[in-house]
Amino acid sequence: MSDEFDDIQAIFFEECTEGLTTAEEGLSAMQAGDVSAETIAGVFRAVHSIKGGAGAFGHSDLTAFAHKFENVLDEVRANKIVPTPGVIRVMLSSFDVLSDHVEAAKGNAPRPNDGAALSALEQVLANKGVPEGDAPAAAAPAAAAPAPAPAPAEEEEDEFGFRPVGVSLEDLDSPADEPAGWVVRFKPSRAALANAGEPLLTVRELEGLGARVESVDLSGLPSLRDIDPEDSYVTWVIAAPAELPESDLSDCFDFVAPDSVIEIKRAAEDVLPEGATEAEMDGDEIPFVPVTATVDDFMDLGADPAPAPAPVAVEAPAAAPAPAPAAAAAPPAGGGGMPPAGGGGGGTGGGGPAKPANEAAQTIRVDLIKLDLLLNLVGELVIRNSILADRLSPADRQRVELPELARLTRQIQDNVMSLRAQPIRQAFSRVPRMLRDLSVETGKQINLETTGETTEVDKGVIEKIGDPLTHMIRNAADHGLESAEERIAAGKDPAGTIKLSAEQKGARIFVRVADNGRGINRERVRAKAVEKGIISADAQLTNEEIDQLICAPGFSTAEKISNISGRGVGMDVVRSNVEALGGRVEIHSVPGEGTTFTMILPLTLAILDGMIVRLAGQRFVLPLTHVLETIQPEPGQVKRTSPDNEVIDMRGEYLPVKRATEIFGLNDDRNIEDSLVVIVESESSGKVGLVVDTIDDRREVVIKSLDQNLHPIRGLGGATILGDGSIALILDIEALVSSPSRYTPKGLAA
Amino acid sequence: MTKLILTVDDSASMRMLLKTSLTSQGFRIESANDGQHGLERMHEVKPDLLITDINMPKMDGFELIEAVRKVPEFKGVPILVLSTEFSDEKKTRARNAGATGWITKPFEATKLGAAIRRVCP
Repeated sequence: MSDEFDDIQAIFFEECTEGLTTAEEGLSAMQAGDVSAETIAGVFRAVHSIKGGAGAFGHSDLTAFAHKFENVLDEVRANKIVPTPGVIRVMLSSFDVLSDHVEAAKGNAPRPNDGAALSALEQVLANKGVPEGDAPAAAAPAAAAPAPAPAPAEEEEDEFGFRPVGVSLEDLDSPADEPAGWVVRFKPSRAALANAGEPLLTVRELEGLGARVESVDLSGLPSLRDIDPEDSYVTWVIAAPAELPESDLSDCFDFVAPDSVIEIKRAAEDVLPEGATEAEMDGDEIPFVPVTATVDDFMDLGADPAPAPAPVAVEAPAAAPAPAPAAAAAPPAGGGGMPPAGGGGGGTGGGGPAKPANEAAQTIRVDLIKLDLLLNLVGELVIRNSILADRLSPADRQRVELPELARLTRQIQDNVMSLRAQPIRQAFSRVPRMLRDLSVETGKQINLETTGETTEVDKGVIEKIGDPLTHMIRNAADHGLESAEERIAAGKDPAGTIKLSAEQKGARIFVRVADNGRGINRERVRAKAVEKGIISADAQLTNEEIDQLICAPGFSTAEKISNISGRGVGMDVVRSNVEALGGRVEIHSVPGEGTTFTMILPLTLAILDGMIVRLAGQRFVLPLTHVLETIQPEPGQVKRTSPDNEVIDMRGEYLPVKRATEIFGLNDDRNIEDSLVVIVESESSGKVGLVVDTIDDRREVVIKSLDQNLHPIRGLGGATILGDGSIALILDIEALVSSPSRYTPKGLAA
Repeated sequence: MTKLILTVDDSASMRMLLKTSLTSQGFRIESANDGQHGLERMHEVKPDLLITDINMPKMDGFELIEAVRKVPEFKGVPILVLSTEFSDEKKTRARNAGATGWITKPFEATKLGAAIRRVCP
């Protein structure tokens, strides 16, 4: 059970993460001016769900904070608090504290200090907004006074079994003299019956406590002809033993609608249907006991941090210091600064019937391993399909409906692939928070603009771009953007902007972090690179090449090691991480205008759009993402410039030519004119011509990683199974073209 | 006979929590993840009791309760609301929609079980 509980709790934490993402998106949208009801409702629902789950799993700190936050959101949702920029700011910082609380609940962090955030929220509640001067004023005016109703009061109420049950308003006398027996008078309302309440259940429950039905008052029954089977006509009078606590009796009526008549009195008292609201007691003669009768009502079972009980009900027998009856007991004490009707009277609009805004994803959770296994199996299925197609005659293929089978298999494959795809939003979600912190740390004003967060990317890619992304953002905030003074001096808006975007182009995802800061100081970068021995002092470099130096291993331009980006990891880590994913980083910088870092990533790690080529007769897969064009060289178009170097003349541009067969040590005496040259582009070596025998096919292949115990060969990135069941190795273009032309083959028998 | 309960909540953890804590108390549990889904499941599983959350996407708890009560077959099915909401206004709305009872989250498993037996013995 406890394992199970942990499992469920783990899911709850995942939901928290989703909820926080939704909330943050909503809040950011609000900050950007979108204060539509859907957006607000989306944020509300997210925080609300976190609170609900947190309560269920016993995270009281998180529950309490979420509760206060939710109160404010509820008021905003009910149009009682206007979401001014000041209010939104309070909500954003509350959001941060909420995230910290979630981390604390997970056990990853100490309990956050939420005092400031709580009092800011309380002041927003008390003032119905944030006073003119923006930040919630330190001194909340008198409004705060009535609110922080004594928390203990609530507990006492609980001890005394306070229940928001509709009980007729009577003074609560005769607490402790020698108690007489109880007399309970009960007449369910019509509404109670309509809501599938069953009064006999309540009666039986009372009987279970030792009570017995004294009489059944049928005077309200009309004649048979006039009976409405859905109406309520019967009143029970029940006697219960004196020693029973009143709460035991009232508990039985937990689900009985308040408009029903429920009176619980000591026998001595006069029991009159005083609280009877809708007394349909005009009755006639014939007795009739409704069969599908019902009772219903509303109670609070759980100990919500601030359950606002029905103010009608007052059951505080001799609660010692309790001031006045009705009014005093009602306010939701635990809610602290919340005005009594706050959560409740929220007007009709407040009811949570908000139409789905950021539609919460309807998800089931599947272990990624299972998904990968499925993907693998589907890959095998596709392969078997091709094998089958190869072995059957065209007529047989049609006869066994192979094309249809192949189509279905392909659809399954596409679907399974898409299962691994997730919106890149997940990777983006921590950026706003990070920037808010960075803004505080650096004293810079930073605006964030995000686009394309719904772009779907393979989960593996999302998981792995988190760190590079973090670093790029920090770099942009710390190095890219200037201080406000500097910006003003340069005639810019004092607030800097970082644009974060994602878009899909073909099988690649472009993730950009663009700042409108000072741009790369190429002189300084160059000087630093010389100083660090990365380039020689007389190296001739283009602007782009200088920019690229930022990503060179061991390079860091930070003049002062800041807490933010100078953490010993440089942009080289970004590049190597991205390259490990089969992607690359581009840098574009304009002095005085800003810098854009672009991560270009494969859409998926599991499948690859490949060109099947032959090298010395063997088949290899060349990832299409690198391919620019393919040409059949004219005689003389490929020239040898030195014994080891060849170039190809591409419309006047000379590109180095590499022979993969030589690199892998494969025998190849094919004439260059009989070969094809595939022009590929690589991050490290730019455009390079790669000589291949022929191109067989173009297809998507399922990437199988090479077993660990195989000796790694530079230039090979994995393997795949082709349609005929044979294995083809996948070329790692980046490594291949940057490796020396001659390669000493190790472990690869030609 | 084992009572069959349909729980409707958009939170997977809440659904699972309900399922584990109520299954161990001898109830059979089916679940749905929003109001719309809940309404569909009502027709499929015809439960003895419906427990629903209020704040849900697509169709919220109020709408679900109203929709369920419109189906003659479900007129007698008790409906409990299980929500973190606690305001009178919400409770009144739920009752007007046709809810039988209201339980505030978080819940204690045994109390929930007792509450269920109160409307659905």
